[in-house]
Amino acid sequence: MQRMNSRRKSILSAMHIAILAMFLLVSSFALTACGSKTAKNTVFSVDDIPGKTIGVQLGTTGDIYVSDYEEDGSNTKVERFNKGADAVQALKQGKIDAVIIDSQPAQAFVDANNDLTILEEEFVEEDYAMCISKSNSALKNRINEALEYLKAQGTLEAIINNYIGENAGKTPYVSPANVTRNNGTLTVATNAYFSPYEYYEGGSIVGIDMDMCQAIADYLGMDLHIEDMEFDSVITAVQSGKADIGASGMTVTEERLKNIDFTNTYTTASQVIIVRDDNASASGANIGEKFKSDFLTANRYQYILKGLGNTLLITVCAALLGIIIGFIIAVIRSNHDMTGHLKIANFLCNIYLTVIRGTPTMVQLLIIYYIIFGSVNINKIIVAILAFGINSGAYVAEIVRSGIMSIDIGQSEAARSLGLTYRQTMVNVIFPQAVKNVLPALTNEFIVLLKETSISGYIGLTDLTRGGDIIRSITYDAMLPLLGVALIYLVIVMILSTFVKKLERRLRSNERR
Amino acid sequence: MSADNKNTQNDIILEVKNMTKSYDGHVVLNNINTTIRKGEVISIIGPSGCGKSTFLRSLNLLETPTDGQVLFHGTDLTDPTVNINHIREKIGMVFQHFNLFPNMTIKDNLMLAPMKVAQMPKEEASALADSLLKRVGLSDKADTYPNMLSGGQKQRVAIARALAMNPEVMLFDEPTSALDPEMVGEVLSIMKELAQSGMTMIVVTHEMGFAREVSSRCMFFADTIIKEENTPAEIFDNPQTDRLKDFLSKVL
Repeated sequence: MQRMNSRRKSILSAMHIAILAMFLLVSSFALTACGSKTAKNTVFSVDDIPGKTIGVQLGTTGDIYVSDYEEDGSNTKVERFNKGADAVQALKQGKIDAVIIDSQPAQAFVDANNDLTILEEEFVEEDYAMCISKSNSALKNRINEALEYLKAQGTLEAIINNYIGENAGKTPYVSPANVTRNNGTLTVATNAYFSPYEYYEGGSIVGIDMDMCQAIADYLGMDLHIEDMEFDSVITAVQSGKADIGASGMTVTEERLKNIDFTNTYTTASQVIIVRDDNASASGANIGEKFKSDFLTANRYQYILKGLGNTLLITVCAALLGIIIGFIIAVIRSNHDMTGHLKIANFLCNIYLTVIRGTPTMVQLLIIYYIIFGSVNINKIIVAILAFGINSGAYVAEIVRSGIMSIDIGQSEAARSLGLTYRQTMVNVIFPQAVKNVLPALTNEFIVLLKETSISGYIGLTDLTRGGDIIRSITYDAMLPLLGVALIYLVIVMILSTFVKKLERRLRSNERR
Repeated sequence: MSADNKNTQNDIILEVKNMTKSYDGHVVLNNINTTIRKGEVISIIGPSGCGKSTFLRSLNLLETPTDGQVLFHGTDLTDPTVNINHIREKIGMVFQHFNLFPNMTIKDNLMLAPMKVAQMPKEEASALADSLLKRVGLSDKADTYPNMLSGGQKQRVAIARALAMNPEVMLFDEPTSALDPEMVGEVLSIMKELAQSGMTMIVVTHEMGFAREVSSRCMFFADTIIKEENTPAEIFDNPQTDRLKDFLSKVL
């Protein structure tokens, strides 16, 4: 037996090494694929757009304007991405023909990718403003007052010039020394993937919008709190009261005015068209430089580490919550199955199971954050733990119930005939056997749960996936952050599987000779 | 050991009054009445499907009678306000398929109820388990798991497990039916010893030899009722009904 164990152990680790080797092999294929030729550019002016495939960031003004082409019969396709960087990546790979995006982030993208260029002809001009709830006109008036003051003082211009133009970095905004902050907190919703208006630098969110909001908060005597989230969530967050205002390089459009109010405009920008530059040589950065800029420069690996910490915290706590919910429901349901008691409780459990298993986890997460806790200021990690725990509980419940039902009825009859109560019978006799039987299915559920937490970014949580996304938005390199994140998930799952296999073997020890 | 000569009320352990059991209108037991006294060893025989096991399982309420009463020392088990767990402590049961707990060692199987139900300290429960395992001749199996035992050994452990709660009466539900023939003897001899020690026993069985030799009273179940009830000698040598004569002609 000892010999067999050690042999099995070595087979396990050999399998793990093989999996990791295959992963690296696939990665290197991806590397070489990047260097290959992509299609020639076909968009040279606004007139070329009809009939092409255009990438935009979901919910931006670019999206709104290009959508008109979709309906005019010219067979124009619009691909909507969650992040500008994703659209740019798709453009580089030839998946789309052009990207329409705000001029300033476009400049940042092109600076980072020498195989891309901006067409001289602008797509459309637009004014940026901050969005604010329609029911909050008092705050709107005070912000407008602050905005006009900052314009009059030249503060706003200094902030913009600190990020754009040849004097960039020379006029940083500094809060006045004598500010008293007695008027509460100003919570600002933004999508920090929009350089130079809002982006991550050294672990915090900076940019024109953020400095402006700081200046407004200083003027109003308030503390500033920034919430980072998906761009299409910003308006929802302001509507539901999760944030007081949204400052995210946002243009006033009629569509948006139906749901939300806007402050005065604070700057003018334009939507431009990014296309592939056929004359440019392929991007020169080698893998080592990319690795350095993705993970080492400015300690960017910290985003991954912080995200990994959150992912593990959410997964472990949600798994525990799921186990508790799952066991309670499994006991109620199997008790009902066996005795016919607990009709009402069983009915409620059935509703819970049907709803949770019948709707996508992401929708549940958004509902819990924006609707159930819509008007409550609550830690997002707790929201995520609740959402994933409640979700996982439904699956654990059915797994555990199948385990309980798989135990011969004679087991509980024997225990009850000895005088054990129902609870003692469950705890001492049924559960230990049931859990052993369903351990593989439970492991699988927790692996799914771990990977499912990658949607936490939708409520603005920095989990492992979003940690990689932040790096992507800074370095405009998709490959290494994505592969790195995938590798970390893979390693965690492999560690978890190995651990459970060992546990399973120990539990089965009483069944082997 | 016969109860006939001490007919005092105190000797009555179990009393069944007008018990009826039906499943979805299908009557299995019809108006059963009987009394079981201390020290009796009762064999229950009869064709399969006649309700023998249902009757036995009703005595500790593993089956709930549709109608009628089961009294244990005068307490009605079918009364919902009665704590059935306390009464089950005093009614040991041995099953056809042993139903040992596979997740526990043999010794832990024996110690579970004394510790959890009777709140016995661990050392005391351990000593009790050792002595019971010795009694059924399985001291060397204390730390092994049920799946490593033969059928006969499992049933001996199951008997020891039921004895651990020091019951006043033991119910046996076809204890040898699932055993290979060569293992029947070891289980029957343990049961015989138990009967000789004065234990009150109710045994549903197909072992006619055991019924005849060991029991003090024999019940023949057929057609949803106790068709005949008498001493084993009378039942086997002087059957009164055609039903019993027919049954005996097939099994003997």
